[in-house]
Amino acid sequence: MSAPATGRSLGLLVCLQCRATVRGLQVPYPRCPRCHAHLHQRKPHSLALTAALLLCAAVLYIPANLLPVMYYNTLFEEERDTIMSGVLVLLQSGSWPIALLVFVASIVVPLLKIIALSVVLFSAWRRTPRYRTQRSELFRMVEFIGRWSMLDVYAISLLVALVQIRSLAYVSVGWGALAFGAVVVLTMFAARTFDERLLWETEQ
Amino acid sequence: MAPFSPATRCARCRALLQRPENGSIDTAVAVAICALVLFLLTTAYPFVGIQYNGTSRDTTLVGAALSLYRQDHASLACLVFITTVLSPLLQIAGLLYLLIPLRRGRQAPGMGTVFRLLTQLRPWIFVEVFMLGALVALVRLSAYARLVPGVAIWSCGLLMLALAALTSRTTPGQFWRWVEEYRT
Repeated sequence: MSAPATGRSLGLLVCLQCRATVRGLQVPYPRCPRCHAHLHQRKPHSLALTAALLLCAAVLYIPANLLPVMYYNTLFEEERDTIMSGVLVLLQSGSWPIALLVFVASIVVPLLKIIALSVVLFSAWRRTPRYRTQRSELFRMVEFIGRWSMLDVYAISLLVALVQIRSLAYVSVGWGALAFGAVVVLTMFAARTFDERLLWETEQ
Repeated sequence: MAPFSPATRCARCRALLQRPENGSIDTAVAVAICALVLFLLTTAYPFVGIQYNGTSRDTTLVGAALSLYRQDHASLACLVFITTVLSPLLQIAGLLYLLIPLRRGRQAPGMGTVFRLLTQLRPWIFVEVFMLGALVALVRLSAYARLVPGVAIWSCGLLMLALAALTSRTTPGQFWRWVEEYRT
């Protein structure tokens, strides 16, 4: 089977905002006639931007997991909770499905997302011809599940808002939570700046 | 491509290109109004409350973000506020701003730009993730305190469904088809 014709080989541009197909415009900065978005053959600086964002996310993944995300303060003591110790608390209280959910969403998914995006990015950079379909699918899956990592940030925000029994016991936020939120946001941006079509580009 | 196939997929990477869409604009407006009402309920009423040793405390959706702000975590508070309150509101209001004039064959000022911004905003609506996060928080609290679910917890669950329905009914392809259809 011969390779299907691509828009680029036919001189067509697709508007990534409104999905309009536009016949190649020979002007310096083409804009979509329908929604006025800027048109590019490929997302500009896709590989460099994705790599930079991904690197930031990978660095922040370390404090996100090591720093406490939450402090539980009572009159007598202060308990620190990292993401992992939060999972263990849930496990001890007997709600293992919730513990598993938090473990997967907060620890496994961000790590997998960073690894998967690195793999995809690397193969787009090297223009590896093998397993392209699988890589495309991996990328789309990662884009879809990545957002669920944020659930711990919301859980913490509710705990902070609710557990404020004046001077007796209160919950406060740790810097780990911010690092964690940043990892999720950065990987989301990294996935958005990555142009999937670069996975399919062959050596000219 | 096969005209009767349920969805068009890319021949190379099998990504979904297009679903057959011929939804009515009236349904979309109705869903948007429904989502707006649910959003107002969700922000106006307490989300959940706890009772502990005779003291009680509750919080709203905005209160969750505000309590982070009070603890000097403004950036985290912004993240929570934008993803759970601001993005859904802008999405609903923006779509109503575009769709209501469009039904009558008129185009709202700045239509292309507004719709483009709305599609870019969509990944930042985290209402469904917030619901799951709330579940986690409630499970953790249930060991120590009595929980009192508020009105907002139910309306937020419904808002999550309404937003999903709204997003799937106003895909870019569908929106621009309406624009062409209602151009009179």
